[in-house]
Amino acid sequence: MSIHENRRPAHAVLVSVALLSTLAACGSPGTADTSPTPSASVSAVENAEGDLTVLVSTPDVAFYEALAEAFEKQNPDVDVTVEGQDYNALATNAPRILSASNPPDLIKLGSFGNLAKDELIRPLDDYAEAYGWDAWPQSQFAAARIADDGITRGEGQLYGVGPGFGLTGIYMNDQLADQIGLTDPPATLGELESALAAAADEGIVPVMTNGKDGGTAFLLQNLQMDLAGSPEQMRAWVFGQEGASLAGDATTEAAATLQGWANDGYLPQDVNDIDQTAAPTRFTAGEGLFFPSGNWQAPGLDQAEGDFSFFLFPPADSGGQPTAMTAGSNLALSARSDNPDAAAAFLDFVQTDPEARQLTVSSGGLVPAGPADASTPEADGVIGDTVAAFDELVAEDGLVDFMANASSSIQVNTIVPNLQLLLANRQAPDEFTSELQEGYERETGG
Amino acid sequence: MSARLVADSRAGVVKAGPGRRNWAGLAWIAPAATMYGLFVLYPLTQTARYSLYEWDGFGEARFVGVANYQRLLTEPELRSSISHSFVLIGFFSILPMLLGLVCAVALARMDKNVFGSGARTVLFLPQVIPLVGAGIAWTWAYSTSGYVNQILGWLRLEGWARPWLSDFATALPAVGLIGTWVSFGFCTVLLLAGISRIDPHLLEAARLDGAAYWQELRHVIVPGLRREVAIGLTVTTVAALATFDIVYVSTNGGPGYATMVPGVEIYRLTFLSQEVGAASALALALIVLVLVVVTPIQLLMRDD
Repeated sequence: MSIHENRRPAHAVLVSVALLSTLAACGSPGTADTSPTPSASVSAVENAEGDLTVLVSTPDVAFYEALAEAFEKQNPDVDVTVEGQDYNALATNAPRILSASNPPDLIKLGSFGNLAKDELIRPLDDYAEAYGWDAWPQSQFAAARIADDGITRGEGQLYGVGPGFGLTGIYMNDQLADQIGLTDPPATLGELESALAAAADEGIVPVMTNGKDGGTAFLLQNLQMDLAGSPEQMRAWVFGQEGASLAGDATTEAAATLQGWANDGYLPQDVNDIDQTAAPTRFTAGEGLFFPSGNWQAPGLDQAEGDFSFFLFPPADSGGQPTAMTAGSNLALSARSDNPDAAAAFLDFVQTDPEARQLTVSSGGLVPAGPADASTPEADGVIGDTVAAFDELVAEDGLVDFMANASSSIQVNTIVPNLQLLLANRQAPDEFTSELQEGYERETGG
Repeated sequence: MSARLVADSRAGVVKAGPGRRNWAGLAWIAPAATMYGLFVLYPLTQTARYSLYEWDGFGEARFVGVANYQRLLTEPELRSSISHSFVLIGFFSILPMLLGLVCAVALARMDKNVFGSGARTVLFLPQVIPLVGAGIAWTWAYSTSGYVNQILGWLRLEGWARPWLSDFATALPAVGLIGTWVSFGFCTVLLLAGISRIDPHLLEAARLDGAAYWQELRHVIVPGLRREVAIGLTVTTVAALATFDIVYVSTNGGPGYATMVPGVEIYRLTFLSQEVGAASALALALIVLVLVVVTPIQLLMRDD
């Protein structure tokens, strides 16, 4: 068919250009003012009532349903519904879910992104005062505070609290440790490296970790904090504070150490292909002496065959402070919730009630913080190790948030890709440091 | 002078009628046109609008003009994602077309028996499977203990075994081969239909003139497939440039940035970084890129 309508394409182009420019001039998308601001002052409620919806990620549903049941027993007039969504889908859809007409009252969020700035979640300081949370050790709330600029964390209004904290450390396969004559967990970085060398000599994979989706970032962060001598540089960076930077010798040395470990065969050969479900599976099957991970793996390891123990990442020198990353499993209160009082009562319950705290440890795989004099849950095995380690760290203020939480996409855009390049010897350690800082400035500076 | 053709139902003859609009025709296309307008054209105008702002999708938007487009030209990751999608054109488009041609020609000869139609069905199955399912299945196959390495083991080629999707050198070709697998059946079936459309008298005439099979192929069959090749190349090239599902599921742009493509980058900008303006600018750039690549194909293959 070769009919040429010479004028029609020209018309079409003109029309589309006109249409496009008209719409482009149609004012900016989005709205400035979204939710109603809370008006009356709040107070602690004795008996919560009404309906409550809690939205969490799918693996947490069983744990939160147990918490909900315990809460309903104490507050018979309230009805709690727990809903679950895939973790990634939840992170992606959180803004949409919260701005819908019927949002959940409480939503589990790893990071808050722009939700605070867009006023989709409600600050909790008035409830903190009503329930007395402001008298507890405050470092547990630092990561969930967001300043007025909506970006800087660590200071400002409180936006999320939760039943407990995830904590990182290293799991050790006790049977493989016996094989190389390791009786006590390494107490310094030097001892750790000797253990790695000994394991490699015996033909044991020294460290099992997931390079595909960020397990190697734990090692990098711990090494950086060790070699910097203090977690302050990292803490400021993760909280997005003014002028924070990871550029410097500590980061480059940490990257060089990690790259050296990969070259010496201390990491699995296919480390960049192992993801976060494959790594614990392979570790429990006996591949790997050490497994840097967190207390969320503890329930699974206690049930698996074999003996495992948990220790915090050792400091650089003996007598130094061990470092660990922690992040609260935080629930945020939706700004459009129609039952904020009951929601706040639930938040207080999960932090203080002894039964809830026990559930947090045994079912949630987390460690509760709460008031200084709160009940300590009972636990043994690996879980017991993690509880003890966390209490030690809270007391010494050694908690730092994960590098991945510096911004909502820095893990996927910057940290993981550059670590993969580093471990494949396609990037020099100092290049790594500059790429990391550049990526960070791009994501946080805007 | 433009010819306006109106179907005359009485005579069944097409008549030229200057000044008479084809109302019946417009009525027939109205539903499809409305859907197209609502779900394709309108969002397109909105994307163009968003690309001029810095916006997170919910709060206030800040007008920034062409800043988002400038970013496209300066950030190296965004530039390399476009070059990766060109590599994928080779795997999603050119390779399946060549393989499809070979297969279609072979199948055309055995079209008459059951084996032929069974083969067609089996070959077309990859098109029917959702891309996400294909991506996941292939990720397992490519893993350290997956089928690909197992088969290499059977063939005594263990030295070549590696985590294909996590090795910097092989990741992009490996992802490309998934796309080849998906498109190959489509190209085969398309070209097979084209071959059956070729006038058998032409083939007979060529044979009578003493042409060998490969001469028949070169002078009658391949030229006769021009339209199908154009369609196939267009569809698969657009798929290659806009690909998202396969890459997201198998490598998520990794290792490093080795398999990053514009589709995944747009997803990340929108949903993870919450930079709707930058994502919209990249999306529009992708549209322009697709047009730039597809138009020459269409023009080259036009038979008039």
